[in-house]
Amino acid sequence: MATVEKYLKPEVIRQISRLDLRAQFIVKGFLQGLHASPFHGFSVEFSEHRKYTTGDDPKDIDWLAYAKTDRYYVKKFEAETNITGYLAMDLSASMAYSYEQELTKFEYATCLAAALCYLMVLQKDPVGLVTFGERIVDSLAPRSNRRQIGNILSLLAKLEPHDKTDVAHSLTQLAAMLKHSSLVMLFSDLLADPEPTLSAMRRLRHGGHDVIVFHILDAAETQFPFEGLVELRDPETGDRLQVDADGYRADYLQEINEFRDHFARECRQSGIDYVPLDTSMQFDRALMEYLVNRRSLG
Amino acid sequence: MGFLTPALTLGALAVAVPIVLHLVMRQRPRELEFPALRFVQQRRDSNRRRMRLRHWLLLALRCGLIVLLALALARPTWRPPEARGKAGAPIAAALVIDNSPRMQYVASGQSRLDAAVAAATGVLQQLPGDAQATVLDLTAGSPRFALDVSSAVARVENLSSVADARELATAVVDAIELAAQQENRRGQVFVFSDLSGAALSNEAITRIAAALEEAPEVQLALVDVGDDADANTALGEAVLSATVLRTGEPLRISAPVSMTGPGEPPLVELLLADESGELIKRNQQIVELAGGDATRTGEVEFTLDDLPLGVHQGVVQLSSPDALTIDNQRFFTVDVRPAARVLLAADAPTDATLVREAISPSLLGGEGQRFECETVTAATLRSAPLEDYQAVLLLDPPSLPPAAWDALDTYLQQGGGVGVFLGHNASSAPFNEAGPQKLLPGRLRRISRDATYLRPRRLDHPALAGMAEFAESIPWSLCATFRYWQFEELSSDSHVVAAFANGEPAILQRAAGQGRLLVGVTPLGEPPSPRGREPWNEWARHAWPYVLICDELTGYLARDAETQLDYLAGDTATIPLALDQRVTNYVLRLPDGQGLRRTAAVSDAALSISVTDDPGNYRVTSGSAQLDRGFSVNIPGEYSNLARRDPADLSAALPAAQFQFAATGVAAAELVEAAATGRELYSWAIGLVAVVWGAEHLLANRFYRRE
Repeated sequence: MATVEKYLKPEVIRQISRLDLRAQFIVKGFLQGLHASPFHGFSVEFSEHRKYTTGDDPKDIDWLAYAKTDRYYVKKFEAETNITGYLAMDLSASMAYSYEQELTKFEYATCLAAALCYLMVLQKDPVGLVTFGERIVDSLAPRSNRRQIGNILSLLAKLEPHDKTDVAHSLTQLAAMLKHSSLVMLFSDLLADPEPTLSAMRRLRHGGHDVIVFHILDAAETQFPFEGLVELRDPETGDRLQVDADGYRADYLQEINEFRDHFARECRQSGIDYVPLDTSMQFDRALMEYLVNRRSLG
Repeated sequence: MGFLTPALTLGALAVAVPIVLHLVMRQRPRELEFPALRFVQQRRDSNRRRMRLRHWLLLALRCGLIVLLALALARPTWRPPEARGKAGAPIAAALVIDNSPRMQYVASGQSRLDAAVAAATGVLQQLPGDAQATVLDLTAGSPRFALDVSSAVARVENLSSVADARELATAVVDAIELAAQQENRRGQVFVFSDLSGAALSNEAITRIAAALEEAPEVQLALVDVGDDADANTALGEAVLSATVLRTGEPLRISAPVSMTGPGEPPLVELLLADESGELIKRNQQIVELAGGDATRTGEVEFTLDDLPLGVHQGVVQLSSPDALTIDNQRFFTVDVRPAARVLLAADAPTDATLVREAISPSLLGGEGQRFECETVTAATLRSAPLEDYQAVLLLDPPSLPPAAWDALDTYLQQGGGVGVFLGHNASSAPFNEAGPQKLLPGRLRRISRDATYLRPRRLDHPALAGMAEFAESIPWSLCATFRYWQFEELSSDSHVVAAFANGEPAILQRAAGQGRLLVGVTPLGEPPSPRGREPWNEWARHAWPYVLICDELTGYLARDAETQLDYLAGDTATIPLALDQRVTNYVLRLPDGQGLRRTAAVSDAALSISVTDDPGNYRVTSGSAQLDRGFSVNIPGEYSNLARRDPADLSAALPAAQFQFAATGVAAAELVEAAATGRELYSWAIGLVAVVWGAEHLLANRFYRRE
């Protein structure tokens, strides 16, 4: 367990250059870490039998099959095909930010998205990709075949965050693209006015889509570790501000926590999953947040 | 509150530097990218106010730091109000260092004088830069304040012990008066002494206390540089049986010996200089001591009986040195002279017999005699070679031819000694002529028959000084006198040496060139029962005091009185010269062997020598070998007294507000710090600087930390 956790750290994951391997690494490590399948209630339709192996929950053993074959089989479930996943990646310039962390916010989001993509394809859920800045830049239509993983991962690997952000507009665009109810997984730092963003999310939700918001912030943005006199520059707007970091930390932390709390509160009210993350957190924890949220929804 | 180096407070002007830096060269903040800037901006205004406050705080700290540093380097002082006196005035320090011979006492490898010099140097170095200092020791002189302390330090370091030390109290009183004279300065007198009871007697303390009372602004600090160890063996002042001896006469030398502390009975040696001046050991003696535990006393006595003619110098000394070396030696000088030749002139040779037997008893056979007498009749006096004699006595002379009087007058003018004792052979007319009147103090008037006796009022005339020793015991009434000459009027150049009980002059002196002239109005050698006439006096009836009178008067005329050959250090030695010893040049050889060539006037009947600072034997010689004299210089016996005063006595006797006692040199230096500069706040100021500096660093680091 300890070994696995070690390999799940973002800085270790980063050392793997191939994104598919990264995704596998994250997911497998996560699965091993949990010992048991966390998919109950997530995918309910029987798919196939599989030989019982140590570690599987005995309650999943198909005793009927045992009676017929005198061997232990566990039932495997298949996801409902009408849940289509969209990975919505924020390409804004602020996502390229990292302060003394191994991964930028974007890289962290990419790793996480790749893992989820892997996980969904593993469950035969179709999964698509949407990247956006001020508006949608790139998109891949959802597929559930294994090639889709390669497509998505190769596209993600090529992406460079550079743009300005307009999450609200992009989500509105996305909502127009979605034909039937889908699972929208939004990876963004949400550094924009919260209200338009929230209303766009709510619109998605009202359109019958499930929305999961992975709110990814850099560790520096959640902790404000600066000291002394600093001049801060916003990479998107170019605004500058001189502040005394020491004197400002408490004020800042109060603001950012209010911001995250505001999102969490609003999302909960709208039935949206809100997963606050920062780039210093381990991936299994990030995934756990996601899956636990999923289960509570299911 | 004051500053030792006020000029350095100008350094506070450097406070402009951080202000300029703050206003002109503001430090650039670290530039950082930060996407979540929007949250920062929301609190911008309140934060900026806070930051500005911190900036000003930092600036104030830096300014404060510079000002504090400047003040600290200017060495702020704080003087307790009771020590202010002439408030804030610079100090005038007078250092009195006891450099009497006693201070040569050596304990644990260091003499007391060394300790005093070290302590005084320490005190001088503690004095602030604006202080004046002077150093007084026990040599006479008029001290004044030196311009700078370093010259005072040099003076202290060159200080040496002096044998002719004046009293410590005199020097202290001088120092107090000198310090009090310093206008606009606070006088501080430091006395470095071993607290000897001899130096700080009750009388001395009273004088010091009186001087302090007259100078209430002056502070006195007494620094004890002595110790309680006082083991010492001392030779007291030597006593000689006589300083002038005749050939064959033995010399007895005795000296008291005292010993403080434990030890074997000391061995005392007698050394005598040979012709080359080298000291040869002649005798030695272990001195048996008796007395209490603290101090045992004894006496050593040596006899020398084979001294040839001439001046002999020597030393009595302890064979082994002790802690105080100055009292280990006693120097002495004796003069072995041939008998003085005296010519006795009387009407008949038998008339001179009494005087002759009195001054040169025939029973002694000429050995060890003071005088060698020859007798001539008054008639043959004229042909006698007067210059061969030291003195000529005319005993009851009859009238002489004028040539004889002229010869006597010439002899007198050249420095001879003539005694004229009138009697029944004299008569008014011939003696009132010009010839005799050259010698006599006045015209003869008459013979008084008023019975009386010789009764000198005072014995301070050199002719009588030898009798002073026995003044109480001389039975003057035995010198009965029945007849004596009276003068009409005494000449202005004559005076009475001795008088009769009725007040009439008995012996007169008249100035006579370089010679000595005594005139007696009654015969010196009058037989008690003369044939055919009444005796003029009965002086010779009793040997005592007749012999003494004859001896003294003749000795005076022959310049053969006992001369002083032993002096204390610092005294002026006087060497009377005989006629043939008068020189223009002479060499004074000092105890250390150094020879000083000196000049004198031919007319000087005595040499005065004041270079007697060091104890030892001095020799005066002249190249022509006519002159070879000597004298000895010793230190007073009181310097052997090492008993110490209790400091409590001093504290009780001196005004408390003006007196401080320091048991060590270090304590003395601390006294300077406290009294002279007040309490220095340097360490506190520097501590404050450090605190402010630390605060500034902490604050600056929080503002401008670099990775």
